[in-house]
Amino acid sequence: MAHNKAAYRTTTTTTPPPPSLSIECSSPPITPKGSLPERVLSKMLGFADFSKRNQSPSRGSSGSGTPRTFHRDVEVDEELPFDSSICQSNYRGVFVVRLAIMVMLAILIGMLTLLTWHFTRVYTSKSLNTLAFGLRHELLQRPILRMWNILNTTVEITTAQVKLSEYVIRKYSNPVDQAQQVEQLYESMKEVTWAMFASRKALNSLTINYKNGFVQAFHRDHRSNNTFYIYSDLANYSISGTYDVNLLSSRQGWNDQTIHNNISAIWYREPLDPSTGEKNGKQSIIPPDELINIAGISQVPDGAASWHVAVSKYTDSPLLSAALPVWDPSNKSIVAVVGVTTALYSVGQLMKEIVEFHSGHIYLTSQEGWLLSTSTNTPLLMNTTKGPKLMMATDSEDPVIRSGAECLQKEYGNRLPPSQEVHIENAKLGNQLYYIDSFFLHLKRLPMVGVIIIPRKYIMGKVDERAIKTLVILISASICILIIGCVCIFVLTDGVSKEMKLRAELISQLNARRKAEASSNYKSQFLANMSHELRTPMAAVIGLLDILISDGYLTNEQYATITQIRKCSTALLRLLNNILDLSKVESGKLVLEETEFDLARELEGLVDMFSVQCINHNVETVLDLSDDMPKLVKGDSARVVQIFANLISNSLKFTTSGYIILRGWCESARGGNFSLNQKDSWTAPKVKFKRQESQGKKFSKKDNKMILWFEVEDSGCGIDPSKWESVFESFEQADPSTTRLHGGTGLGLCIVRTLVNKMGGEINVVKKDGPGTLIQLYLQLNCPAEVTGQHCQMRFEEHKLRVLLALNGRMGRVIMSQWLERNGVHTCGASDWNELTQILQGISVSKSHLQDAPCECLASEDLSIQDPQASLLFVIVVDIGILDLSTSIWKEQLNFLDEYCGRAKFAWILYHDTSSTIKMELRRRGHLLMVNRPLYKGKMIQILETIIKEKNLELQSFDNATVEGDLHECLEIDPNHSDITCSDDSDKSDNGNDRCASAFRSEKKREENFVKASLSHYGLNNYFIDFNDENASDMNDLGQMRNGEHQLTSTSAKEVTNGCSDKVAGQKSLAGLCILLAEDTPVLQRVATIMLEKLGAKVVVVGDGLQAVDALKPVSNSNECRNESLQEDDNSITSQAEGSYSLPYDLILMDCQMPKMDGYEATKAIRRAEMETGTHIPIVALTAHAMSSDEAKCLQVGMDAYLTKPIDSKLMVSTILSLTKRKA
Amino acid sequence: MESVNQLQRKLAEYTASLYNEKILDEQFVQLQQLQDESNPDFVVEVVSLFFEDSERLLNELAKALNQPNVDFKKLDAHVHQLKGSSSSIGAQRVQRACIAFRNYCDERNVEGCLKCLQQVKNEYNLVKNKFETLFKLEKQFVDAGGSFPVV
Repeated sequence: MAHNKAAYRTTTTTTPPPPSLSIECSSPPITPKGSLPERVLSKMLGFADFSKRNQSPSRGSSGSGTPRTFHRDVEVDEELPFDSSICQSNYRGVFVVRLAIMVMLAILIGMLTLLTWHFTRVYTSKSLNTLAFGLRHELLQRPILRMWNILNTTVEITTAQVKLSEYVIRKYSNPVDQAQQVEQLYESMKEVTWAMFASRKALNSLTINYKNGFVQAFHRDHRSNNTFYIYSDLANYSISGTYDVNLLSSRQGWNDQTIHNNISAIWYREPLDPSTGEKNGKQSIIPPDELINIAGISQVPDGAASWHVAVSKYTDSPLLSAALPVWDPSNKSIVAVVGVTTALYSVGQLMKEIVEFHSGHIYLTSQEGWLLSTSTNTPLLMNTTKGPKLMMATDSEDPVIRSGAECLQKEYGNRLPPSQEVHIENAKLGNQLYYIDSFFLHLKRLPMVGVIIIPRKYIMGKVDERAIKTLVILISASICILIIGCVCIFVLTDGVSKEMKLRAELISQLNARRKAEASSNYKSQFLANMSHELRTPMAAVIGLLDILISDGYLTNEQYATITQIRKCSTALLRLLNNILDLSKVESGKLVLEETEFDLARELEGLVDMFSVQCINHNVETVLDLSDDMPKLVKGDSARVVQIFANLISNSLKFTTSGYIILRGWCESARGGNFSLNQKDSWTAPKVKFKRQESQGKKFSKKDNKMILWFEVEDSGCGIDPSKWESVFESFEQADPSTTRLHGGTGLGLCIVRTLVNKMGGEINVVKKDGPGTLIQLYLQLNCPAEVTGQHCQMRFEEHKLRVLLALNGRMGRVIMSQWLERNGVHTCGASDWNELTQILQGISVSKSHLQDAPCECLASEDLSIQDPQASLLFVIVVDIGILDLSTSIWKEQLNFLDEYCGRAKFAWILYHDTSSTIKMELRRRGHLLMVNRPLYKGKMIQILETIIKEKNLELQSFDNATVEGDLHECLEIDPNHSDITCSDDSDKSDNGNDRCASAFRSEKKREENFVKASLSHYGLNNYFIDFNDENASDMNDLGQMRNGEHQLTSTSAKEVTNGCSDKVAGQKSLAGLCILLAEDTPVLQRVATIMLEKLGAKVVVVGDGLQAVDALKPVSNSNECRNESLQEDDNSITSQAEGSYSLPYDLILMDCQMPKMDGYEATKAIRRAEMETGTHIPIVALTAHAMSSDEAKCLQVGMDAYLTKPIDSKLMVSTILSLTKRKA
Repeated sequence: MESVNQLQRKLAEYTASLYNEKILDEQFVQLQQLQDESNPDFVVEVVSLFFEDSERLLNELAKALNQPNVDFKKLDAHVHQLKGSSSSIGAQRVQRACIAFRNYCDERNVEGCLKCLQQVKNEYNLVKNKFETLFKLEKQFVDAGGSFPVV
């Protein structure tokens, strides 16, 4: 347990209770000790640690740990057998649940995060993508539209030029003078063409190639911003002069070769004013086709318009050239070809503008991949040896365009499907991501592909940035929530786990307690069994010793040794009895009897016994019982006596000189405030007396519980106040070092306390003035209703008694004189011989003169009136110790006292060891009134009563003139005394049945209460030893002698009964009795039969309870049966049996455990049957159980007494005798 | 006369050994005390009664314990009887074994009961042998002309 506790403590220290952080979600909890993970880790470790070490953790619960359920569970635990494996698994279960909750929390939060991310991210990006696609499309659409525009315009111009050319040619087609006509034609054509050219600034060139090879062309150089007119040599052409229009109609007439290879033709270039068209420079001859492309017939092979992309060395951008044929009016032949060339420069310009605004790259290529226009400034043409040439997009100098084109090419190869748009998102070009979109522009003869490359960053940049930010925030937030959640779980489940730890601890403690209780139970059981087993041989030892002692053939030394052995054995037995008592009380098997007994007498006997020991110590034993004590109380006399025996012997042990006082008084249980009063009474004894008197009157109506107060006071070494409580614990002595000095086990007071508590009382050590110990206790005992507190003490007043107490002990004298004074007896005290003589002399003077003695002033008036002889009784109580016994002076002292013999009555207090010579001497001198020390109330009363009677007798004898009656007889008639003798030799007197019964009942308990119970009887014997000496039977004498010899070892009942039965056995003490023995065991049957028969009894044996009942039931039948059975044994019985029809048997010995019907049932049946007849046959139980609970059971079913197996013949005899006596 | 004395000493030693070995106790002394002229063979009679009874009881016990459902109540009653009779003649070792036996009966411990039964049997046989030897010695003693002092 301690181990567990330690484990728990370490766990708690490593993980301090988490601070109250559960609410502040924003900030992770930071504890002074280490980071959160550390804490969590340590917590986990602590858990593992705990569950590992704790081998018996608690039973798991639902985890809702309120203190109330906790308690309830604990209570349940106490009742249920504890299963540690379940607990452990449950404990682990909780641990797993905790983990599971955490994992679930983590998953939940992760899912939430992902979903949030998804919805915020995906939908925006999708819509953005849509938007971006639109944007891209739009962006690309615009340059394409421009291109389209350019193409359209080109076409329109071309068409317009063609129409104009047709018109002009038609106009001049009439065969006029050829030269003139040609001159006019060309001139007007030039005008028209110029107008056309001038109106379109974007045009690069406008050419007309006539059938006859004449070429007219306008050219605009955008770089130098010059405009030129280029024409071929007309003269030369005209010289050849074979211009045949008809020929023109045939296509064969057109021969590119002829035209282009017309080397002979000279080309001129005329710079023009760009705005007016006026010639502002000199014409110069240029090589043909050097400047521009002149569209020839070859370009319109099918007579339809045609396009192509051309390059010129004057521009760095590709040119778009269109060619249209000019048909003759008959529409049969082509007369000229008009070519229009437009630079694509403006498209590039537009792209640049767009790109500047939107960023990214745009380019146009032909279907074959030739780069037409880009948004960059990189050259679109590459210079070859043959002049500038179009370049492929993949060869572009711009890395983005190049890589984009490569990417596209890679994606689709060269097989670009027509009219397919391509969108590539997230194309990785260089280090950046781009959107690549291509659109296919389907122009007749010139299909084009537009490609837009926009960096992803431009469109999605912000979104991506936000998304990343959002993601980061989400993740961090969810991690925070997760951590906080975990911490919360820990915090919340921490209580549960703590509770479980506590519960585990509690349960293990409960277990430990249960074990401890069990072990202490076992201990008690063991002690009980052991002492029971030990007692048997001890009893045997003592019995054998008794046999030896009674043998009579022993030498003196042997006798002394055996006596010594017997003492030791008795002491050992007493110890065993103590242990048995204690264990009985502890195991709850002690049952108190409830019988009437004379408390005062029991205590007197007790004091008698102890006074023997006290004298050795020079200690005075005083019994001081107040008069209001009830004479008879109901209770367990043996136990009550045991209480005081233990207390007194304890006091005796620690008192070397001084006194031991046993006080007793009574208080009605109805007194509510008695505890307060009682306190007062302790401190002020005088108050006590007053109250006693007042209470004495209240006792008239009672059948109630009495509270009897007692105190035992001694003048010994005392007890330290700190030990006042602990002296009542078992095996406890106030000062352990005294064990060697005084001996003892420390069990006595413990037994006393348990007994007192059992009787509803309390015992305490109380502060005392002066040295010594004062122990107070009270007992609650029932009083029989008829008993009143009043005694016969009132009678003394009328006898005018005067008592001179010549006693050694101061306390005893003071108490006695106080009591006598209270009862109206005048007393004087003397503590030694000198004092006695003085008082005696004083009295003698007063007597002789019939004058008032100093002590007698009150009585004097009465004396004078009445007859002095009758009225005044002067009693001198002399302690034999006052005499000087060491020398022979005591005889002289006796002589001196003899002088007063006539005037005063002497009563002698003897010591137990007073030699017989002194007794003889006293008796010789006529001092017949002798009692043993100590002197207490009961003895005093008897002394006084005897004296009063004697007085009366004397008066009678005086009156009647008869001889003085035999004093002894008179004394024997004394009812009180006859009681005593009755208890001693029970076959003598009959009038004390009740007492006898009770006496024997307690005697039966001698096993537990060997010493004390018996003392009460035999102590009483000492009242008048010396009278008995002469009058009592031999047996009594023997017992008395023995008593004297063994008083030191507390004479036991057994011993005396031994003596009795030894004698009785010879006399066949049970002669004439007829006993029914119900016993199933043959061995026991036989043994008991022989035993009883040896004692003279007639025995009828039955085998079980049923037979026993049958034997009794029909009286007549049973009688016959019995007669028959008895006749077998002894014929002489029949006559006796016939005499008593109603009771065929004098007694039944009933075994408790028998087949068919056990002893209890049989007894019940018998008692039921007796209800009708009104008889009562004594039934004695025979049982092997020795516990008093069994005894109680026996008595409850109606048995009268109780014997244990193996049968002790002496005990059996005494029991049988006591029971049969009662009946007789 | 010499042999009588020897026998007497032998008998006394043997009896003493019986007490020393705690086979018998003072109850047997009481039994012997009960023997007198009117019942000259009382001790032998009682002891043989005891043997008969015990053997019957031991058989009963063995039978009861061999049954599938042991009737502990019956068992207990038998043991109780045996205990009573053994204590009556002073065979205290048998008695003690019976006490242990009854404890097991209370616990309803069949194995313990079987063990105890064996023990009781052993003790019984021991005491039986001892008694037989004792009686033989006594017989020899009596035959040799010795007489017991009246106790």
